[in-house]
This record gives sequence, structure tokens and C-alpha cells, in this order.
Amino acid sequence: MSKETILEVRNLSKNFGGVKAVSEVSFQLKRGEALGVMGPNGCGKSTLINLITGFIKPSSGQVFYQGKDITGIAPHKAVNLGIARSFQMAKPFYNIPVYKNLIIPLFSPRVRKLVGGKFGDRDEAAIHLLEDVGFERDSSIPYKAAGSLPHGYVKRLELARCLSLEPDLIILDELFSGMSMSEVASILPFLERLRDEGKTLIMVEHRLKELFRVVDKVVVLNFGKKIAEGLPEEVVQNEEVRKSYLGSEVDSSA
Amino acid sequence: MEASVLIFGLVNSATLMLVALGFSLIFGLSGVANLAHGGIYLFSGYVTWMLMNYLGVPFLLAVPLTIIIAGVLGALIYWVALKRVRGLHLSEVIATFAVGVAILELFRWMGFVTYEFTLPVFIKGSVDIAGVSIDYQRLLIIGIGLLLAFALWVFSRYTKMGLALRGMAQDEYTALSIGIDSDWAAALSMALGSAIAAIAAISILPLGIISINMGYEVLIMALAVSVVGGLESITGLVVASIILGFAKTITGTYFDPKWMEVIYLFALVLVLAIKPSGLFGKFKELEERV
Repeated sequence: MSKETILEVRNLSKNFGGVKAVSEVSFQLKRGEALGVMGPNGCGKSTLINLITGFIKPSSGQVFYQGKDITGIAPHKAVNLGIARSFQMAKPFYNIPVYKNLIIPLFSPRVRKLVGGKFGDRDEAAIHLLEDVGFERDSSIPYKAAGSLPHGYVKRLELARCLSLEPDLIILDELFSGMSMSEVASILPFLERLRDEGKTLIMVEHRLKELFRVVDKVVVLNFGKKIAEGLPEEVVQNEEVRKSYLGSEVDSSA
Repeated sequence: MEASVLIFGLVNSATLMLVALGFSLIFGLSGVANLAHGGIYLFSGYVTWMLMNYLGVPFLLAVPLTIIIAGVLGALIYWVALKRVRGLHLSEVIATFAVGVAILELFRWMGFVTYEFTLPVFIKGSVDIAGVSIDYQRLLIIGIGLLLAFALWVFSRYTKMGLALRGMAQDEYTALSIGIDSDWAAALSMALGSAIAAIAAISILPLGIISINMGYEVLIMALAVSVVGGLESITGLVVASIILGFAKTITGTYFDPKWMEVIYLFALVLVLAIKPSGLFGKFKELEERV
């Protein structure tokens, strides 16, 4: 592959007191690739995402985005460079209507520059985006306050919010958690389409079968360290990965 | 009900609304309980007075200048006193209260306590409505209060900036993750709220002399309206202003005027005891606490 490297993480570490939440993690991601980050609970997956997007400042190591050092960048500046992230615990703006949650990003300099348009012009686009991520067509749900949404919809709104930022790199932190099987099944084709359209994706996920349908390669963390990296089918054969998932079956049948 | 009770009830309600709008706006948009509100309010009154009497600026120019200066002061308070303690609610309260007291006591120390400190009314004269004589300034207060409340309602619902700022108040992390600069948004809401406090001061202060203690009274009024109505609800703010405004007028007319100021505190305590999130409050956590 001769594509440019969009994200490079170099020896990234974060200590919380004496605990090494993330320790000397390095990987590279090329434009258009989809990367999965997996590992048992508490292995530092979310911390890694927070370090990349600037929500937590790293203890050491560097993050490069499109060739630029963005280590410890302010979160809103990362967004304006084109890095959109979702939260595992999604908190939409609860007393603002769902579709308006997607219009607020217009306030950020990046979206204003790329999309332009006045307030109100984007209403239609916001509704379409909601339909893309699986909100029912012609329903009243997009006009209700976001706080009234059931959990599955909140996660879809979270995905739509990422896309409304016109990102170059999309980081999804456990998008599937708390979603039902059928909800996940309905959103998978959309994620595959994003990948096929050439969007760069990072997905942190526990549901490996679904994860492997979307991603090209995976990085496996355990106790904050990277223990494996490679194609999904290779990684699940790795002895250390199998051990780290002790007790839980690593399913490679997907 | 007598006509005078109705009319002066409305005037008192509008006064309360004007006074509380700036405070409520800052809380609703950035989550900061700005206890320097009374300080900013009186500061605006004195700034107008100083512009007119020391620099000879005409009233019509002094008004917009004061509003701008108050806005800058609000943003400055954020950058100097609040930025470092952002998110720590108790520290925010202590910091803004300290700033408010500092402003008020600074003016007391400078000797701004005599009877010469008055602001001119917009239009002189009065009119008879249903046999009650009422001056134009009080009617203007009703108009300005309604206009401002409506403008803010539109701003917070139908503009990008208003929505972005509301988002900031609701969840800072989510707001950051859509590219909103949290410091900038909070400073902006402090500036807006302080500018509104200045508008309130310029409209209301001409009714009497400017005295330091009004700064503390104004803070109590703003707190009472916000607590009774429920924070971050403009409907609640309007309804609470009307309830408290009429309660004050009725107390003054039919009971004893000395109870007029106590009524705010009484209502505040009553609402906190019965429905702590306020009549129109959206803070569910308070309701669900056992």
C-alpha cells in the first residue's frame, strides 16, 4: 500500500498514579484503513482513544496526525483537524431536539468552512444523516428531545454526530455496547459502506464477530501493552491473545 | 384586584425578570452560577454615571458604551477568576462571589455612597392608566423585560451560537468532541450575561438612587427567581418573576411593606423544601434524590 499514513502513535504511555493504563503503544494507520482495537476489560482501550483525541494528556510518547505532531492537543482542536470520536457512554444534548444535535457542529470552524450554510439550511441534511444511521424514515423521533431517546438510538445519534463533523478519521469507542443484536445488524452495513467509501476508521469493540466484518486489521491490548497486531484471522490464533481473553471464546468464524 | 396592584405587580415582575435574565442566561449557557451578578449590575450603573459626569459623554452614547464595558468585564472575570476552577462548582461559586463583593466594596471604598449618584430616565413624565399614575420609565421596564426575554428565548433555540452554548452547559465533553472551545464559549456567555445585567441596571436604576446595598439585593432577587422558576428554563423565569412580583406587591399593599423583601427569601426556601429543582426545573437529579 502506498497510501499516506494518516495517524501514527509512537510509544504512547499514560500512568494514573502507579497504574500504567497505556504503556509504550505504537501503531500506524493509513488513509482509508479500518483498524479494530480489542482487548479485555480495563486493558486501556478507551484511555488510548482519549490520549489520541486529547481528552487525556499522555505521560510520554507522541501522536502524529497527517504528519503533524498533535500530542496533547486540546480536544476541540483535534475535531477541527478532522478527528471525530464517539463516546462509550454517549451523552447527547438531552433537552435539544435530536436533529438539532447534529446542527450544533455547524458552530465548529471546520464544519463551517467545509459545509457552510446558514442555520436552517442544514435541517434537511441532519434528517438524512439520521436516516442513514437507522432512524426510521418519516417518524417524529428526530424532533423529540435527545434525552427521550432509547439507548440504541442514542448510540446511532452518536455515530451521526461523528459524521456530521465531516471527519477524515472516525474513532468509535464501543459503538455496539448496549445495542441489541438487531440494532447492531442494522448498523453494520452502514459501517461497511463507510469503510468502502474510503473513510478511515478506528473501532474499539468487544463484539469481535461484528468488529471483524468491518476492520482490515486489529491491535490487541492487554494491561495497557500492545500484545498483537495484524489481520483479524491471524491475531485470534495468537497464543497470548487467546490467554488474555481467558475464559471467553475468541470467535474467528466471522 | 385593584388596578394599582395589577400595574405595579407587573412592574415588579418585569423588574425581577430583567434582573434575573443575565444571571439565568449565564447559568443556562455555561453552567456557572455567577454570584458576581449584583456587582456587575451596580458596576454598570456607576460606569454610566462616571461616563456622563466625569467624561461628559451624552446619555445615549453612555448606554451602549456601558453595555460593552460590562460585557468585557464579564469575559474578563471568566479569564481571570474562573478559567482555572472551571467545572469545580463550589470553587466557581466562591470565586464569583468574591469578585462580586470586591466590586461592590471597591465602590463603597471609593466613596460612591451619597445621594448624587442617580441615572436619568429615558423619557420623563407619566401617564394615567385606569386611574393609576405610572411613569414612562416603569412602562419601559415592562417592555424591555419582555423584549429581552423573547430575544433570549429565540437566541437559545434558533441560533447556532445559542445552541452551541446550551450544549456546552449540558455536557462539556460532548461539546468538546464537536469542536466547541469550552473556554471561549463560557467567556462569551459571561459577556452576554453581564451585558444584560448592564441593560437591567440602566433601565431600573433611574427609579431611585444608586446604592451599594442594591448590588446584594439584586443578587438575592436573581437567585430567588432562578430557584423558584428552575434554572435553565426561560418559561420558569417568566412565571417565577410574575409570581414573586405580584407576591411582593400584594404583600406591600395589603400587609406590611416591611415584609416585601423577605417574601423572596421565603419563596426561595419554600420551593427548595417542596420542589428543589424549581417549578419548571429540568434538574432531574434533584428530584430523584432521596
